[in-house]
Amino acid sequence: MNTVVAGITYRALLGRRRIILLLLLPLALIGLAVLFLLVGEADQDTAVELMSKFAIGTMLPLLGVIAGTGVIAPEIDDGTIIHLMSKPISRPLIIQTKFLVAASLMAVFGAVPTYFTAWLLIGNEDGIAAGFALGALVAGIAYAAVFLLLGVVTRHAVTIGVIYALVWESVVGGFIPGARKFSIQHWATTIADQISASPFLRADVTLSFAVPALIFVTVGGVLWAGLRLRAFSLTGDE
Amino acid sequence: MSEIYDIGYRHYDGPRLGPGYSTRALTLHSLRGVFGLGRPARSKIIPFALFVIMLLPAVVNIAMMALAQQRGIAYSGFAVVMQAVVAIFLASQAPAVVAPDLRYRVLPLYLSRPVSIVEYVSAKVAAMTVALFLLVAVPLTLVYVGELVVDMPGPPATGEYAGALLMALVLAVLLSVFGLALASFTPRRGLGVASVIVVYLLSSASVPMVYGIFAESGNESAASWAWLLNPFWLVDSVQSWLFNTPPHSIEGTYPNGPASAVILVVLIGIGLAALALRYRKAAAR
Repeated sequence: MNTVVAGITYRALLGRRRIILLLLLPLALIGLAVLFLLVGEADQDTAVELMSKFAIGTMLPLLGVIAGTGVIAPEIDDGTIIHLMSKPISRPLIIQTKFLVAASLMAVFGAVPTYFTAWLLIGNEDGIAAGFALGALVAGIAYAAVFLLLGVVTRHAVTIGVIYALVWESVVGGFIPGARKFSIQHWATTIADQISASPFLRADVTLSFAVPALIFVTVGGVLWAGLRLRAFSLTGDE
Repeated sequence: MSEIYDIGYRHYDGPRLGPGYSTRALTLHSLRGVFGLGRPARSKIIPFALFVIMLLPAVVNIAMMALAQQRGIAYSGFAVVMQAVVAIFLASQAPAVVAPDLRYRVLPLYLSRPVSIVEYVSAKVAAMTVALFLLVAVPLTLVYVGELVVDMPGPPATGEYAGALLMALVLAVLLSVFGLALASFTPRRGLGVASVIVVYLLSSASVPMVYGIFAESGNESAASWAWLLNPFWLVDSVQSWLFNTPPHSIEGTYPNGPASAVILVVLIGIGLAALALRYRKAAAR
C-alpha cells in the first residue's frame, strides 16, 4: 500500500464525474426502498427480491465496473500511467494499492447502502440486512479485483465488463442453473444465506464452493493484474 | 535584395459542394465509426458481435417457421425481447461517435468549416439512429423474407412487420438522442459507456419491481404507468396504441390512449435540448 498512489487514485475517482455514477446507483436503490415503504409493501419477500435482484444483481456489478476499471483504465487511456510506472514503486504494489482503493469504494458505495436499504425496509429481521451487507461487501471486493484486472488487460474494459455483468451474471445465470456456480453474485447470495435465516432466501451454490471461489478470484485477479502491469507496454489505440 | 517568387499557388475554381455535402460526409463517417469500419480490427469486434447476436433469434425464427410451421418472436416484440443487446450496442458505440472529437478538441476544426453546431449534432444523431435502426430492422427484415419464402399458412404479417419497422425507427431516434446526450457529457469513452448503461439498467431493472409493487397493492392502473419508465416498453406502448399490437411487457398492460406517445415526443425533445446545450458549451472551449 502506497499512500501517495492511493491519494491520487481517490482524487481521480471522487473529484470527477465518475462520482455521480457511483452515487446514482445507491440512491436509486434507496429510492426504490422508500417507494416500497410508501406503498406499504415492506415485507421480507420484497426486501429479499430487491436485495438479490437490484442490489446484488444490478447495482454491485455496475459499481464494480465503474470503480474497478476507474482506478486504472483512465490513466492507461491518457498515458499518465507512465509517470506512475517510472517511479521506483513495484508495479504489483501499484496494483495492490489501486485494488484497495477500489475495494474501499465498493464497501462505501455498495455494502453500506445495501445494509441501509434492507434495514430501512425490514429492520434487522432474520439477519437479512446483515447477510446481504456482508455478501455485497465480499462480492464487491471480488468484483473490484476482476474489473481491475480487466482494466489492465484491455482498452475496452468497460464494454466487456458491462457485457459480462449483463449477459453472464443476469441472463445466463438466470436461465442456465449450472452457470450460477461461476457467478460472483450467486456466491454473494450464498454468503447472505449463511447469515440470514429468512425462508425467502435460497442459495444455489454451496458455501464450501463459494468461499474458496471468492478468495481465488480476488487474490488471483490482483496477482495477475500485477504481473500484467509488470510487462506492460503502452501502445496506441484507434 | 528581396524578390517575390511565384511558387505556383493556384486558386480553387472547382465545384463547391456546400454544407449539405459536408453534413452527409460527416454522417457517413460517423456511421462507419459506429461499426468500426476504417478503424483497427479491435474496434470492429464488439459492434459486429452484437449484430450477429441480434441475427441469431431471426435465424431461429426462420428455422422454426420452416420446420415446425410455428412463429417465434412476433415482429412487434422483437426490440423488447432483445433490449439488452440493443442497449449494450448503444452504450458501447455511442461514445465512439462523440467522445473522440471532444477528447482531442477537434470540434473547433469542424466548426471552422461551413458546418454549424446544428449540422454537426444532427449528423451524429442521424448516424447513431441509422446504426440502431439497422441493428433492429435487419433481423426483422430477415424474418419477413424468411416468412415469405417458407410460405406460412395464412396471409403474411405485412402490417405488423411495417409497424415494427416504423417503431424501430422511433426507438432508434429516442435511444440515439439520449445515448449521445449522456455520452457527450464526458470525453472519456469508458465513462461514457458506463453512464449510458447505468441509466438503461436503472430503468430496466427497477421497472418490473415498481410494477410488481403497485400491482400487489391492488393499484393496477398506476402500475401500468411503470412500464413507460423504460424506453423499450415506452416505444412498445406507443406501438400497441398505434397498431393495436398486444403489449410485450413482462406482465400487465400499458396505459390507454396517446399519453405514451406524448411522453415519447417530450423525451426526444429533452434529449435534443440536452445535446444542444452540451454542444453550445463544448464549441465555446
